[in-house]
Amino acid sequence: MMEKQYCQPNEYKTIDLLAVAAAREVNNGDVVFAGTGLPMLAIMLAQNTIAPKAVCIYEAGTIDGRPIHLPTSVGDARCAYQASVSSGLFDVFNQLQRGEVDLAFLGGAEIDKYGNVNTTAIGGYMPQPKIRLTGSGGNPDINALARRTVFIMVQEKRRFKERVDYITSPGWRIPKWPFGEMVHKKEVYGDMFRGGPTAVITNMAVFRFDEEGVMYLDTVHPGFTVDDVKNNVDFDLNVSRCRGTTEPPTRQELEILYQQIDPEGIFLS
Amino acid sequence: MQKKNPKIISLTEAVGMIQDGDMLTFSGFTIWRRPMAFIYELVRQRRKDLHLVEVNGGTHTDILAGAGAIKIWESCWAGHELYGKLAGNVSRKAQAGELLVEDYSHVHMVCRLAAGAMGLPYMPTYASMGTDILNPEYDVLGKAGLRDGSHAKIPRQKYRMAQSDFYGPTELIHIPAARPDWCIAHVQYVGEEGTIRVMGQKYSDEEAFKAADKVIVLAESVVPEAMLRQEPERNLIPPYMVDYIVELPWGAHPTGVYGNYEVDGNFIRDFYSRTRTQEGFDAWAEEWIFGVKDHVGYLEKLGIDRLETLRANPGLKYSTKVVRGKR
Repeated sequence: MMEKQYCQPNEYKTIDLLAVAAAREVNNGDVVFAGTGLPMLAIMLAQNTIAPKAVCIYEAGTIDGRPIHLPTSVGDARCAYQASVSSGLFDVFNQLQRGEVDLAFLGGAEIDKYGNVNTTAIGGYMPQPKIRLTGSGGNPDINALARRTVFIMVQEKRRFKERVDYITSPGWRIPKWPFGEMVHKKEVYGDMFRGGPTAVITNMAVFRFDEEGVMYLDTVHPGFTVDDVKNNVDFDLNVSRCRGTTEPPTRQELEILYQQIDPEGIFLS
Repeated sequence: MQKKNPKIISLTEAVGMIQDGDMLTFSGFTIWRRPMAFIYELVRQRRKDLHLVEVNGGTHTDILAGAGAIKIWESCWAGHELYGKLAGNVSRKAQAGELLVEDYSHVHMVCRLAAGAMGLPYMPTYASMGTDILNPEYDVLGKAGLRDGSHAKIPRQKYRMAQSDFYGPTELIHIPAARPDWCIAHVQYVGEEGTIRVMGQKYSDEEAFKAADKVIVLAESVVPEAMLRQEPERNLIPPYMVDYIVELPWGAHPTGVYGNYEVDGNFIRDFYSRTRTQEGFDAWAEEWIFGVKDHVGYLEKLGIDRLETLRANPGLKYSTKVVRGKR
C-alpha cells in the first residue's frame, strides 16, 4: 500500500477535510444511508478507499447504485445507475426499521450536547415560528433506527446549544411522551434501541459521545485550538478527552475526490 | 364496484375538476417527477384552500404556497435540494401564520399513505419517537380545532402511543392513514387503457396512487397498452386505479424525469432567489404562470435549446449536456 502523504493546511479546503473525516467513519461492509451533498462525497470516497464493500442506500429508493456521475440529490437518476434494486421509500425505510442500516450521514441547523438536532424551526414553533426551516425529512427516522449516525455541521455558538429550539431528530437523551420528561433513548425505544449519534464533524473539530450520551471534543482540525472550539459552543463542553489534531486529508484522498468523484466541481468547486 | 378505464382529457379539464379545499397528494420526490404543469394550471385557475398531504414537498409545494393556494400542509420537508436551501414561500407563509403546517417525519408520511393504500386506518412504526414531532403541544391541526371528527379527511388524533405483546412487550406509535381526494402524478408511460409504468426510482408513488380516492396522471407518453403488457413485471398500477390521463410531454419541468429529462437547476435556483418576498413571487408568477397561455406557451418560452440540453441520454437516463458544476 502506498505511503500516506498528508496535505499541509494550505493545500486543502474545509469541505475536503469534512468529506475525508466523514469517509473515515465508514467501516468496510457497512450499509450506509446517505443524503445529498457532503454525505455523497463521503460514502463514495470511503468506497474508493477504506470501505470497498460498503453499500449505499439513497433515501429515494436506490440500493447499492454504482453512479459514474455524481448525483446532486437522492432522487437523481444518477443514483439508480447500475443499482442492485431501484424501489422506493417504503422499501428502504422498512429496511431501516428492521435493522439493516449500520451508518448514516445527517445534518442539522442546531444540535445540543445529547445529539438532539433541529432542522424544523428557529424561535418557537407555536403558534408560528420566527424562522421555518425545511423540516425533518428522514433525519429523525434514520437517527432513531440506524446503529450509528454522523452529523456534519457548521461550528457556531448559536448552533451548538444547551437546548435546541425544536427536537427534530432524537439524540441520546430525548423526551418521553406524553409528558416529555428527558430520558435515555433506551427508555423510549426498548428492544428497538440500536445506537445513535456517534460523531459530529464540523469545520473546526470532531466530537463524539460518552457512555452517558454526552458530547465531548475528540479532535481539533489543523489550524484551530481547543479554545476556538469552546468559544463556538454554547454549552459546557467536555474537552478532557481530546486526542489532539484531526488527521488531515491525504493527497490520494484529494485526488480521488477531485478527479474521480466530483470532477465537474458540483460540491468541490 | 364497476370500474371504467380512465378517460383521456385536457390539462384544463383535469384541473377544472379540483375543488377549493380538496386534499391532494403527488407523485415524485423533492425535485423529481412532479406534476408541474398541473401545479401551474391550479395557480392559473386560482384554486385555494388546498390541503396537501405529501411524503415530502418540493418546488411544486413552494409555488402553490407562494400563490396562496394552500391552507394546510401535512408533510415532513420542503425545499429545492441543491437549488434553494429551503422552500422560501412555505417558510414565509408559515411564519406569517397563513399556512397550517403539520409536521410528521418522512417515515410517518410514508406510513400515512401506505395505510391509506392498504385500506387500513393506521400503520404502526417505531420511527421518530422521542422528538417534538410527537409533542402533544405541537399538534397543529388539533390546536386549530380540526380534529373533532367533523372533517372527513382529518384524523381525530395526530398519532397514538400503542403497545404490542405478540413477541414480548414493545411500545410504538400508530400513525393515521391519509386518504387524499386526489393523487396528481407525472409518469413516463401510460398505456392507452391506463396501465402505468414508472421507471427509475418509484419514490412513494405506489402508496400515493393507491391512497387517493381519484387519480389524475400526466404522462410523458401515452403508449399502446400492448407494449406495457408485454412486460407486466415492470408496471406499477392497473387501469382501474386511474381515473384521468393527460398526455403532456415535459409536463414535469423544472423537475426531472428519469429517462426523459434532467432537473432544470438554473430555473429552480432563479425561482428560489426571486421569490423570497411576496412581491417577488407575484412577479415571477406573472412571468411564468399568468404570462404564458398554457403548457405549450411555457415550453415555447423555455425554448428548444434549453429543453434539448435537459433531455436525457437514453443509455444513462440523464442528461450529459447540462453544466452542473464549476469546473
